[in-house]
Amino acid sequence: MARLYIFAIGGTGSRVLKSLTMLLASGVKPNSEKNFEIVPIIIDPHKSNKDLKRTERLLGNYQTISNEAGLDSGFFSTKITTLDRLTTSQNRLSGSFTFNLQEVGGRKFSEYIGFSQLDEPNKALADILFSGKSINKRHEEVNLLDVEMDIGFVGNPNIGSIVLNQVKDSQEFKDFASNFNEDDRVFIISSIFGGTGAAGFPTILKNIRDAMNNRNIDGKGFLQDAKIGAVTVLPYFNIEKDSDSPIQKSDFIAKTKAALYYYKDNVTGNNSINSLYYIADNYSGKPYKNDPGDNGQKNDAHFVEMASALAIIDFLETPDSDLETSEGKALKPIYKEFGIRKDSSNIKFSDLEDYTERKIAMRLSQLVLFRKYLTEHLSNAIEKEAWSNDSPEINKKFIDDTFYRTNLSEFLSSFADWLKEMSDNKRGFSPFNLDSTIEALIEGRTVKSGWFTSRVDFPSMDNKLSKQGKGKTYSSASQKLIKLFYDTTEEILTSKFGLKN
Amino acid sequence: MEEFFASLYEWFGLNPLFSTDMGDQLRGWDITCTDYIGTPWYVIIGWSMIAVTAVLYALQYHIIDSSRWKNKTHWWLFALIIVILNFLIAFLIPYNSIQAGDYCNQLNLSVSDCIGFGLSNAVWSFILFIIITTIPVFRKLSNNCRHTTFWKP
Repeated sequence: MARLYIFAIGGTGSRVLKSLTMLLASGVKPNSEKNFEIVPIIIDPHKSNKDLKRTERLLGNYQTISNEAGLDSGFFSTKITTLDRLTTSQNRLSGSFTFNLQEVGGRKFSEYIGFSQLDEPNKALADILFSGKSINKRHEEVNLLDVEMDIGFVGNPNIGSIVLNQVKDSQEFKDFASNFNEDDRVFIISSIFGGTGAAGFPTILKNIRDAMNNRNIDGKGFLQDAKIGAVTVLPYFNIEKDSDSPIQKSDFIAKTKAALYYYKDNVTGNNSINSLYYIADNYSGKPYKNDPGDNGQKNDAHFVEMASALAIIDFLETPDSDLETSEGKALKPIYKEFGIRKDSSNIKFSDLEDYTERKIAMRLSQLVLFRKYLTEHLSNAIEKEAWSNDSPEINKKFIDDTFYRTNLSEFLSSFADWLKEMSDNKRGFSPFNLDSTIEALIEGRTVKSGWFTSRVDFPSMDNKLSKQGKGKTYSSASQKLIKLFYDTTEEILTSKFGLKN
Repeated sequence: MEEFFASLYEWFGLNPLFSTDMGDQLRGWDITCTDYIGTPWYVIIGWSMIAVTAVLYALQYHIIDSSRWKNKTHWWLFALIIVILNFLIAFLIPYNSIQAGDYCNQLNLSVSDCIGFGLSNAVWSFILFIIITTIPVFRKLSNNCRHTTFWKP
């Protein structure tokens, strides 16, 4: 199976990766003959970033569920794996999805570059390159050279590009390079208006394309001509005004312009990238809390992050012939943007373009319906309904086991939080009425009714589940739960709500 | 077939459920008191008992076949309906014959014989319902009631 290595850089990287995980969990798949295994590599110096921690936890649960349920169960059917699982080298990594940036924690940038050991001319050069002010963890104004990097690069890509250049010499990069095959692809997620992402994207891209010059790694040829896609997220959210913070909304556009100007020569201008997706939103909505990183940087999920995750699906649908590369240069570089049908402040499925709606409406609705059943009705059904009593049984012991009680419940709870956050955000994405009856679950969709058609409620779902499960064999109770609900929710949403794949 | 049903209904013994005379009447002892050439009630009531039980089984397991009608209480409700219907059939047919004087006058038949035969029919229908709903080959075709049995409803 070919692999897609995803470099998720900075806070936006983690959040887009989270959205991708949700889409893959719901069964969204690329329309492609090839199946891809996803290998996420999160790069963020800000280890206490709550978005990063949430994404890591989510990926861990996804992995466990997917391993238990198998890859042909509909939900969770795209394999996600950690880099360490691919390697048999003695320098095995920890099994985390996070890239371990060395010597960042608790150190100032000046210590990282050995400022005190520099001679006077180099000190002067460093002073010029890294002039300006920022803040530290205690919200005190400091010189840029004195920034403590364990809260990230605080919107300073000039620092980020120095620190992230260590990636090319890391064990992670060696493992990535030695496992990279001709059919594999790379995707880089970054934002352009901050510090980590803006610096990380061109740095990672350059290190991959310059692999031939890296003596520490294997698999150079494949890597140099790798099929590389990227989404660069332009400003898409509003932020509270805080004169003490180094993060200012007014800087977003200036930083974006500066980065785009840099990309013009070093990313797009030299055809380094095969497929680049731009996404932005100038809607001035609910401002995010102005947190440079010292309070954990936990931002609500946003529609733009989900749309960015769809760029990854689109990239996987792009045929190999459109992603040809020679000597590190894309032969037919592709640039794409994302749009919606209607400029709505609260996006519903019908506000999306047809392709996007077809891609996600059915699958997200299936996972929403699955979660609704499990949280509101499963306890009434287990050991009573036929589908539950069929072998392998879904019984009380099963729901007390770790798979259900921890992995699945926690994942679905995060899924609900993700939807609620997107719904509460402005611009919002609110296609579901999560607390309503099943019939009113999807905004703008009414249940097909008639003289001889039954209502859609939990007992009717039990009927469908029992009918769907009749005579079927499943390898385990976990696989049965996932596969049976995937098939049944698809049938209900097709026949009753008129949703299409 | 007549002997089969006769042995079935007389399994419990003619006494205390019903008398030998009632047994003769149900075997078809004719009104002229000459031979067993009258209506073979054992066979007719036996088949009707099977038919009623099968129809009600099919109604719960394959026609209604709903998650709302698959519980222990629903199994017992259908069992009760089957028992009552079969009791009434087996009670009313000989009772009407007695009321109409439509039997050999040498036989000594009473209402208690009719009740006894009704009970016998009801018990066999209950047993039959247990058997039908126990054998997996039938109930496994049901969407919602395939695990609903007398033993583990």
